[in-house]
Amino acid sequence: MADTEGLLLEIADAVISCKKEKVIETVGKAKLKLPPEEIIEKGLSSGMNQVGTLFERGKLFLPHVMMAADAMTAGVKLLEEDLPAGTQEKKLGVIVNGTVEGDVHDIGKSIVSTMLQSSGFEVYDLGRDVPTRNFVEKAKEVNADMIGISALMTTTLQGQREVIELLKEEGLRGKVKVMVGGAPATQSWADKIGADCYAENASEAVAKAKELLL
Amino acid sequence: MATEYALRMGDGKRVFLTKEKIMAEIEAGTANAADLGEIPTLSANEMDKLAEILTMPGKAVSVEQGMEIPVTHDIGTIRLDGDQGNSGVGIPSSRLVGCMMHERAFGADTMELGHIDYSFKPVKPVVSNECQAMEVCQQNMIIPLFYGAMPNMGLYYTPDGPFENPGDLMKLFKIDKAKESMEHAAEHLTRDTVWVMQKLFASGADGVNFDTTGAAGDGDMYGTLYAIQALRKEFPDMYIEAGMAGEMVLGMHGELEYDEVRLAGLWPHEQAPLIAKAGANVFGPVCNTNTSKTSAWNLARAVTFIKAAVEASPIPCHVNMGMGVGGIPMLETPPIDAVTRASKAMVEIAGVDGI
Repeated sequence: MADTEGLLLEIADAVISCKKEKVIETVGKAKLKLPPEEIIEKGLSSGMNQVGTLFERGKLFLPHVMMAADAMTAGVKLLEEDLPAGTQEKKLGVIVNGTVEGDVHDIGKSIVSTMLQSSGFEVYDLGRDVPTRNFVEKAKEVNADMIGISALMTTTLQGQREVIELLKEEGLRGKVKVMVGGAPATQSWADKIGADCYAENASEAVAKAKELLL
Repeated sequence: MATEYALRMGDGKRVFLTKEKIMAEIEAGTANAADLGEIPTLSANEMDKLAEILTMPGKAVSVEQGMEIPVTHDIGTIRLDGDQGNSGVGIPSSRLVGCMMHERAFGADTMELGHIDYSFKPVKPVVSNECQAMEVCQQNMIIPLFYGAMPNMGLYYTPDGPFENPGDLMKLFKIDKAKESMEHAAEHLTRDTVWVMQKLFASGADGVNFDTTGAAGDGDMYGTLYAIQALRKEFPDMYIEAGMAGEMVLGMHGELEYDEVRLAGLWPHEQAPLIAKAGANVFGPVCNTNTSKTSAWNLARAVTFIKAAVEASPIPCHVNMGMGVGGIPMLETPPIDAVTRASKAMVEIAGVDGI
């Protein structure tokens, strides 16, 4: 038991230190002793969750997040053939992200997209200044489970409500969850416009997406 | 039933808390800052003082006599004449009128001139206009008048600028290319800022305000620090103020350094010495408000961070106070009860030199 726990810890540490070769080596050892789901959940994902926390605390930076995600992907790839049929390459969910029309702020939303992608979601980042209809059209095209809407100005915040209203008009509101974020967005704003959740930062966005979609 | 005091949530909502609950929130807020910044928590006396400020009966409170501090303004006159997306109130007025109103009606101790785009890069094609406006304002005003703008390094990335967007490159795992893009953008940011300020200084500006430094992460701060360094070398007597965009420098690049200190992940008390080293006269630390937490939690956290910055800073600290920063709720027109309590706490507990 201690041996397998040690292996899982080693995998998580290798992800945190962005050591792709080490991840491949330790996952190779672990797959002889543990089921692939456990290796992913308690080793690879656990490491990735800690990477997210360290990013928020200013101890790890965006390139590290990407390298850790790359290492994790390599580990998951190694386990694919052992995963039950139908679960291979299965993403946690499909998310369309973007900043509302009239708002050119990009960086925070990009970090959220990166963190969601690193955590196993399939993310379509539409960029910034995105027309309301494009959110909905893209969601239809990729069969999205969630739309993430960012706004950094009080004057563009209304764009989040417009996306939700258009989803309702198109009869998609029941199928697609909506997450809102950005400096002027708050939980009460999310409640007011009928969004499913509000996230304060990138880590919270990942946690809330998992909460709603898994 | 215990007495309850009217406080705010970080999103501005009213909340009523007992003294015990307020103390618990203060303890949790200061502990959060201490944990993240690896700095001391507030002392028991300071926490009591903060609770006293939060529970004062008046709608607005003020600092004790003799503890008044200078007030500096940013975003130029946009708060008056801006009417779309810049927190302005849409009063038709020229920038000269706006600056003079700040000086003669609002009691501003210093003021700044700013362009509607409020970033250095878009000032380049209209710099002559800015120089003329600066001269006219200087001829009509007495208080120090700076030129203010945001470094805003995001404007150097596609689709606004020549360099590929590092966010897009990162998502494609092109990490080295993303870093190169940030390095190029930072060089251009330094060059443009210095060029714009050379012109404005020649037109009589008393100083420069770098507003929201680090908004695009560590590259943004890197470019700004080198701009400050270059300006200080060229203009030894110029007044340079550098305010931050957020409490922590986002690590978009992760390896950029100034004075052998890695910029990514720096908290206010770690930013202050570098800003001073580059040659600034005043540092504007920031602490972000969490909209899901109470004003007691947010203010205790903000005061803890800013107090550490003040202690570590070799230059005066003018803390950023406003919508969503400095323990003030995230509201476009923040409520006066929260603004005045946060300001009093920053002066009397954190010991800031200005706001």
